[in-house]
Amino acid sequence: MMRRWLPLVVVAVIAALAGLAFGAVRLSPGEVLRALFDASAASAPIVRDLRAPRVVLGFLIGGSLAVCGAALQALVRNPLADPYLLGLSGGAGLGAVIAIAAGATGAWSVPVAAFIGTVAAVALVYRLGLAAGGRIDTRALLLAGVVVSGFAGAIMTAIIVLSPAEQLRDAFLWLLGGLGRASWRSVAVMAAYAVLPLLLLARRARDLDLLSLGEESAGHLGADVEPVKRQVVVATALLTAAAVAVSGMIGFVGLVVPHIVRLARGPLHRGLLPAAFILGGAMLVLSDVLARTVLAPVELPVGVVTALVGVPLFAILLRRSLA
Amino acid sequence: MACSAPSGAAVRPSSPPEDGRLSLRRSWIFTFLLLGTLSACGHPAASGTISLVDDAGDTVRLSHPAERVVSLIPATTELLFAIGAGPEVVGRTRFDDWPPSAASVPSVGDGLEPSVEAILSRRPDLVVLYRGAGTADAVARLHALGVPTLVVRTDRLADVPRIARLLGTATGHATGADSVAARFTRALDSVSVEPSAPPALRPSVLLLAWDDPPLTIGAGSFLDELVARAGGRNVFHDIAAASAPVSLEAIVARDPDVVLTFGADSSTLATRPEWRTVRAVRLGHFVVVHGSEFSQPSPRSPQAVAELRQALLRWERSR
Repeated sequence: MMRRWLPLVVVAVIAALAGLAFGAVRLSPGEVLRALFDASAASAPIVRDLRAPRVVLGFLIGGSLAVCGAALQALVRNPLADPYLLGLSGGAGLGAVIAIAAGATGAWSVPVAAFIGTVAAVALVYRLGLAAGGRIDTRALLLAGVVVSGFAGAIMTAIIVLSPAEQLRDAFLWLLGGLGRASWRSVAVMAAYAVLPLLLLARRARDLDLLSLGEESAGHLGADVEPVKRQVVVATALLTAAAVAVSGMIGFVGLVVPHIVRLARGPLHRGLLPAAFILGGAMLVLSDVLARTVLAPVELPVGVVTALVGVPLFAILLRRSLA
Repeated sequence: MACSAPSGAAVRPSSPPEDGRLSLRRSWIFTFLLLGTLSACGHPAASGTISLVDDAGDTVRLSHPAERVVSLIPATTELLFAIGAGPEVVGRTRFDDWPPSAASVPSVGDGLEPSVEAILSRRPDLVVLYRGAGTADAVARLHALGVPTLVVRTDRLADVPRIARLLGTATGHATGADSVAARFTRALDSVSVEPSAPPALRPSVLLLAWDDPPLTIGAGSFLDELVARAGGRNVFHDIAAASAPVSLEAIVARDPDVVLTFGADSSTLATRPEWRTVRAVRLGHFVVVHGSEFSQPSPRSPQAVAELRQALLRWERSR
């Protein structure tokens, strides 16, 4: 047991420490420690109000996206599935762009609009994915995700092209995403939305194992297939909506991390889901450290780093597993 | 040669933009006069060609001063009107909002990703485009169709007199362009704070283009020049790009005296805990400037410098 979890815990701790230790302001390890234990230290605001919420938010978002990816890959029995393929990002992006084009660019209105957009997209995808008798057809669900994504993308592009220059810029910046706007408030928003869906998915770990065998076998083996599928769709929708609303579009974590964990530890969801959460969180936090230090003071969008780091890693593991 | 001056430089008064309707009517009259001269001459091309080198390094040859100009940069549209070539502007981008009279010119849509068909529908004899990746294709296609183009950069204050003169030569408003350029340089020098003032005495300014995620202005933008001339010091002057996303922590590290925003209400920043790590935000040291004179380098830039200077002085007094 210890041997299985130790490497993950080590990676997570390293990520957290790196997230606290590195940034545009040069702080010694001693100063970072002092700031953690003494609120009146000179470096306290930087460590406590800027770096710490960024690390916690990175963990929550990276972890949520990875767990979503793992659950969706089991649900639709397709290794390509991730929160983005199923139309969630399209809905979120569209909601945000509509809010921005309408001039509602307050700290709260854009995330709220993104959230509404995501939920609307999921509802549409879900409805399109319903076969006769209220059963979810997973193939139809995937296709519905792709077409809803495309549709939302087209409307988004049209709005961006037709809106005045200033709002155009705002919309693009929002879509770039990243953890640059991390605060304890965004951590609270993310946590409020993430805890219940994460617990729900964790409780369904065994059902996800059965689902990934195929629905019929799952039914034979005693899973109550339809309610499980519905719960997985709703839970992943909530998680992605919150993640996208808080941090914009961050790709590849949801796709790559579950595969890495499966290759390393096997397919059982009881272990896979928590491991994916820890690794996804650590990957996003480390990517964010790179994003804000490599070109400092300029920040890279963290999604660029997750792709640049995640894809080669994925390719290496893929080749190894095929060898 | 009697008909040797189709550039019209001699007969055209430089019409300052604030002259309003009168100067507009006057320049119309002169346009008719000019057209009359040209048709009387019969072969305007014989009077010699206009030749100039644009910012893409291409030599632009015109057989006569351009009379139907499509301007695909808000800054060049403003300049064309300023040098008295407003009546010759037959197309603009949908973002051109200055001078107000430019609104009556038909829009051909986007300037950075231009539509060649929309441009052609205005039957231009000169198209002014921004030098960038998005316009290269349109420039090549316009050349293939035999439509002359003038490709320019309009990023810095020094571009204003330079591009004014290029446009003046191309449209036969050299005198107007010269006077706009001279006035610009004079006005800019008279409002600018001595560059010899030691940097430590200048308030350090964060130019905040957007707060979520934080986006700042670098040395590549004319706004960086405006701040320097207004007596401030851009804390991100070391960023070469026109704008760049930066981390809040980098802003804390640079510790600006003042946060400058353009039109946006920045006071809500002070209510956000993560922004309160920035000293200037905590202390409420905000300066807000409004107006389209801050959106592009233009003949109004000296005015923008003066406004910015006033704003910084007001802030220093209120301290």
